[in-house]
Amino acid sequence: MGRRQAELLVLLVVSALLAAACTTTSAGERLVVDVFGPYRGDDARAFAASVAPFEERTGIEIRFVGSGSFARDIQDRVADADYPDVAIFPQPAIIREFARDGILIPLSDVDVDEDAPRVSRTGDATPTVLGRDYGVWYRAAVKSLVWYPPTVFAERGYEIPESWEDLVALTERIESDGLTPWCLTMESFASTGWVGTDWIEDIVLRLHGPDVYDDWVDGIVSFKSDEIMEAFDIFGEVVNERGRVLGGAHRVLNTRWQDAQIPMFEPEPKCLLHRQASFYRTHLPGSAVIGEDTDVFLLPAPDGGEPPIVVSGDIAAAFTDRPEVLAFLQFLGSPEAGTPWAKLGGFTSPHPDFDTSVYADGFDRRMGEIIENAAVIRFDGSDSMDPAVGTGTFWTGMETFVRTADVVRTVTEIQSGYPQPALLPTEGSAP
Amino acid sequence: MTTTEELPDRGSPPMTEQTPLAVIWAKIREREAWTDEEREQVLDDLFPADQRVIPYAKRFFTLIILSTTIAAFGLIGNSAAVVIGAMLIAPLMTPMLALSASLMYAQMARLIGSVVIIVLGTIGAIATGWLASAIAGGTLTTSLTPELVARTTPSLLDLGIAVAAGLAGGYVLTHKGSGASLPGVAIAVALVPPLATVGVSLEVGNATAASGALLLYVTNLIAIVLSAAVVMLISGFVPDYIRQLAKGKIGLRLLPWGIALLAIAIPLGNHTKSVIDNELLTRQIATAVEEWDPQAVIVTLGADRDGDHAVVDITIATTADREPAWKLAQGITEASGVAVDLNVNYRQEGRDGASTS
Repeated sequence: MGRRQAELLVLLVVSALLAAACTTTSAGERLVVDVFGPYRGDDARAFAASVAPFEERTGIEIRFVGSGSFARDIQDRVADADYPDVAIFPQPAIIREFARDGILIPLSDVDVDEDAPRVSRTGDATPTVLGRDYGVWYRAAVKSLVWYPPTVFAERGYEIPESWEDLVALTERIESDGLTPWCLTMESFASTGWVGTDWIEDIVLRLHGPDVYDDWVDGIVSFKSDEIMEAFDIFGEVVNERGRVLGGAHRVLNTRWQDAQIPMFEPEPKCLLHRQASFYRTHLPGSAVIGEDTDVFLLPAPDGGEPPIVVSGDIAAAFTDRPEVLAFLQFLGSPEAGTPWAKLGGFTSPHPDFDTSVYADGFDRRMGEIIENAAVIRFDGSDSMDPAVGTGTFWTGMETFVRTADVVRTVTEIQSGYPQPALLPTEGSAP
Repeated sequence: MTTTEELPDRGSPPMTEQTPLAVIWAKIREREAWTDEEREQVLDDLFPADQRVIPYAKRFFTLIILSTTIAAFGLIGNSAAVVIGAMLIAPLMTPMLALSASLMYAQMARLIGSVVIIVLGTIGAIATGWLASAIAGGTLTTSLTPELVARTTPSLLDLGIAVAAGLAGGYVLTHKGSGASLPGVAIAVALVPPLATVGVSLEVGNATAASGALLLYVTNLIAIVLSAAVVMLISGFVPDYIRQLAKGKIGLRLLPWGIALLAIAIPLGNHTKSVIDNELLTRQIATAVEEWDPQAVIVTLGADRDGDHAVVDITIATTADREPAWKLAQGITEASGVAVDLNVNYRQEGRDGASTS
């Protein structure tokens, strides 16, 4: 007890000194840009490092807050008219919605690098409403990846699948060897479900091609169509079949998505395949070496064709037009944006003029090349759909699907997110 | 060989004119009239010789094993009372006071003997703690009990306690009739519980906790040996002829211990700073939570600050609509100036999280 009191006494003295110091220090006026985004933990620190050159050069302070429930929180903030200066959106669809409502600053007001990458469903243009661009694509990620342990594959004679059929055969072989094939977890605060939507998107794009994918993303092809229900059936063979996914439905829904791959690194790996995006590298255990302990292959296409690529990205858009805000947006659209993050690892730039020699290792450079060389590339479907579905019923529907394995119930629930009558196309590219 | 005993100092000014510190100092310096026989008697008790060595060793290691077992189970069971019980039967204080005396008397054989006993006792206690934890297996899950955790982050306060306890130990030894106070000294500066914590922490694979507890033990060891030696020197227990023979060498004997004490003060100072930082941050978080959601009750709160960054885990019970975590993260950063990684758990159900930079 005495010890505690003594500690408190020291604390009080220090507090008094700190308070005295504060009252005698006059804070200078410094321009501040409030930034809201989806980065947490190491990613938040890497983002802070990546904007430090801008802060040093301009004296403008970037004050960043990252939310684990970004899609929900940014919509709540806008509903309360509590706008940040800049938000970094993984969902171009939300940018489009805000642009339509007239609350974002068009890029025509910003002196943005003319080569600054723009995002659309085809991964090469910015979210556009009525011909005006609203966001700069700051960071890219490849989603269509499967992480695996190369050493274990070599020891057991497993080969990287060349086709979807090979992948199914590999899954069955792993199962017959008494192991669980898939590592899969989905818990992500108010955003739980997105890991499942990524699976459906990859399957739809592989099974039915980019045209059906685009029509589905635009709300023209219904979730209740045969094509989309078939994709759910295929995902169901992974997530709802006993023994295919480590821990079963309860673990899938209640374990942090960041922890999915941990069991792969146990002395006796508990699961061997993890379909997850390139940004997962930030969440690998500190000791894991890419290329030795873990690596990635592209989720293959049926009949061994060239795999189409689903990409995602973080897109910056401004809510206010103060000069310092626009200067910051201009910086995010410049070729140098993200350089310190790329040096740390975990950042792939979508900018065509980005200096690829700064990447921490070959992994991020490889991701850049995959994006650049893909024959078929599409932006993340759920992030591009009407937000009522894409970050609404599609996310919650994936929870329903994992829990119930009921395809009809799931697609009906997801489709009900569209405003009635359904199947009205949402606004895509500029006319 | 006999020497003339010095009489107790009777020339001190009346106590009413002295500050409390001066009174304590005078009390420590107060000299007992020691005869050589009496000194030998005390030293004999500290250093058993000849046929008494085996019974002493048996008794010492029996008490080490028993007291560490009691301490380890008390720590695992989170019972302060049980841990105090273990302190009362812990036998490590005697060889440490013996080490102090052998330093002052420059008796190399006794010095080596007491170091050997201390080292063996230390290893024995850690092993017993390890074994007790293995036996209790399953009782500990992932987190250490508060009683264990309390012994893994020593601070400058612990150094202060150990120095004072060492002075007290030396005082009890060198002032006749005050032997009844020794158990109090043993409780103030626990030696066996930190060693039990080292053993338990190692058994559950928590090397950080083990090194923290070991630092606490080493702090106590050095502070006790050094401050007890100083008391022996100034209180007259070390006879004048030895002091005269040694001339300036007594200070030289104490020098390595003084350097060790200063060296150990550095990590302790860092620990103290982190304790203060975390305490301050905890208060700022509590204030931020109140502003964030006035109806929120903090069920649990863990804040670990590292420089200008902190990881905060908080469990909230609230009757109001849930406020988003990002607002709390922002409030904490505004109040503390520290970037946070915040995880909010709701007692009923659900989680949310946010970070600032």
